[in-house]
Amino acid sequence: MKNDNKISPYLIFDPDICTGCAACVKACPTKAIRIKNDKSIRTVDYCITCGECVRICPHSALSSDIFDMNQIGNGQISVAIVSPVLYSQFPEMLPEEILTGLKKIGFDHTIDLSRYTELFQYATDEYIKRNKISNELPTPLISPICPVIIRLIMVRFPNLLDQVIPLKRPVELIELEIKQQLSDRFGVKKDLINLCNITPCPSQKVSTHMMKLSNIDSSVGINKIYRKLSQELEKMEENDTTSLHESYESARGPMWGMSGGEIAGLRTENTFAVSGLNETITYLEKIELGLFQDIDYIEFRCCPEGCIGGPLTVTDKYLAKNTVHKLVERFGIGRRLSQEKALRIYEKGFFFSETKPSELTRIFGIHKDPLSIELLKKMEKLLDIIQGKDCSVCGAPDCRTFAEDVVRGKASIDDCIILKYRDADTDEQIKALSLKS
Amino acid sequence: MTDLKKIFHVKGNDFTHAGEASVNIKNMLKSIGLDPKLIRRIGVCGYEGEMNMVMHGGDGTLSIEINTDKIILYLDDNGPGIEDLELAMKEGYSTAKDEYREMGFGAGMGLPNMKKNADEFTISSKVGRGTQVKMVFSLNH
Ligand SMILES: Nc1ncnc2c1ncn2[C@@H]1O[C@H](COP(=O)(O)OP(=O)(O)O)[C@@H](O)[C@H]1O
Ligand code: SF4
Ligand SMILES: [Mg+2]
Repeated sequence: MKNDNKISPYLIFDPDICTGCAACVKACPTKAIRIKNDKSIRTVDYCITCGECVRICPHSALSSDIFDMNQIGNGQISVAIVSPVLYSQFPEMLPEEILTGLKKIGFDHTIDLSRYTELFQYATDEYIKRNKISNELPTPLISPICPVIIRLIMVRFPNLLDQVIPLKRPVELIELEIKQQLSDRFGVKKDLINLCNITPCPSQKVSTHMMKLSNIDSSVGINKIYRKLSQELEKMEENDTTSLHESYESARGPMWGMSGGEIAGLRTENTFAVSGLNETITYLEKIELGLFQDIDYIEFRCCPEGCIGGPLTVTDKYLAKNTVHKLVERFGIGRRLSQEKALRIYEKGFFFSETKPSELTRIFGIHKDPLSIELLKKMEKLLDIIQGKDCSVCGAPDCRTFAEDVVRGKASIDDCIILKYRDADTDEQIKALSLKS
Repeated sequence: MTDLKKIFHVKGNDFTHAGEASVNIKNMLKSIGLDPKLIRRIGVCGYEGEMNMVMHGGDGTLSIEINTDKIILYLDDNGPGIEDLELAMKEGYSTAKDEYREMGFGAGMGLPNMKKNADEFTISSKVGRGTQVKMVFSLNH
């Protein structure tokens, strides 16, 4: 892979394999990709690490730069922070058994993220309740959980950042104290403790302020530990560990990984959940249009069916869903933590993210100058002249994006196959637009 | 002076594409950096109007005019028209078919909401001929 190019913090592109088919150009939800000179891709906008282009490329010229399991077992105390999605990957096993399995493959300790998702839900309910009185943020409020969605909003719907609730995500709630506690418990220095996030989600790696994995040292995809773990679990099954079965109290955690699992655990009733990138975009368009102002809160997940459909999972998402349903059936979704305690730390500001979502575009320097009415008018004229069919020969995803590139001086009209072979009449019309090139 | 006018065709009974014209209008306004609150007001009006054409009005057009001092939305259809305009403007009044209600439409709040959100609202209608609505949004607040 000598020619590998990193074209975003997340994307690796191999121009030797690329045929210039433009499938990725069309797939990109933020219209960030252009093809220039037949087959050299470049990203002109912000990659939100959704992975759509990686999924769609028929030749695998694009891949994502995902992390490896690197830090386990090198003399440190390694602690697995376990995404509840892991529980949906093994239909025959119970959460407690899976945690035991993790210890068998080399982790010294495990922390179930479910505790923090439950805390997050208490905080969300409280935030929604207070916002109803203060009317500080416009409704519907939007879930801050999925990093890809937040980046999508930053780039394509910055108007809606105001509606994202400014609470820390569960992985961010894991506090520094935890390392202290663990260091006391294991009798080692704090910096010898390695917190490792076991996750279905590649987008966690690229940190953006609000989403930095604050106190977590490393991350590993579920797919990277799956084989080792399932071998251990098979052995355990033979030895029968039924005693564990009784200690499990609630399937609220596993529920979280599924689309609708976040809101199912809220007391707020006027909510709904959307999953999948295209559906998400449709609903964000509607929210920006002013619809759903009477809804309190909307859960969005970019992966189909929620995080159980995350790119680093192994089990089919529909089978995983069934596993979760069975756990819910068996254990219910009762709460394990006290609301009173959650509210006490809420009051102290524990849950609030350091960066307000509405400040994200400024921090990341994502800003597109608005067009003047004059330029918009030229753009619409140009579109009338092209009467195109979004063929992408120009290298842009559609005619509208191309026309905008042209009026912004970022593309030449001759890139368009229709405009290139124009007659004298059309030429006159284009000259009249006096475009800068 | 009119700076920019754009016309979108809306097809009656076409629920698959219903709302697209409003989204396109919204995205035009977004590209010139209009205040999000104003975009929502215009968006709601465009959407309600577009849905009324899809549900009650049959085929028609939704147009936008962008001027330096104001934005105007026009709805124009050649549907059945409205018999009693005063009644149609009442909150909660609706003649929507049950099947539309099942889809979540027909709360009878469309016209009243349009009137509330626009700075100027005029409607005219002739039975058997069609309905026209003009909504003006001032840009100098
Ligand atoms: N374009 C139209 N053509 C014919 N009738 C209309 C049109 N727009 C509104 N109406 C009538 O006015 C009523 C009230 O409209 P509206 O306030 O939008 O409520 P809804 O659409 O929920 O019924 C409609 O039920 C319909 O009878
Ligand atoms: S849906 Fe879940 S797994 Fe997928 S990108 Fe969002 S947070 Fe990550
Ligand atoms: Mg209506």
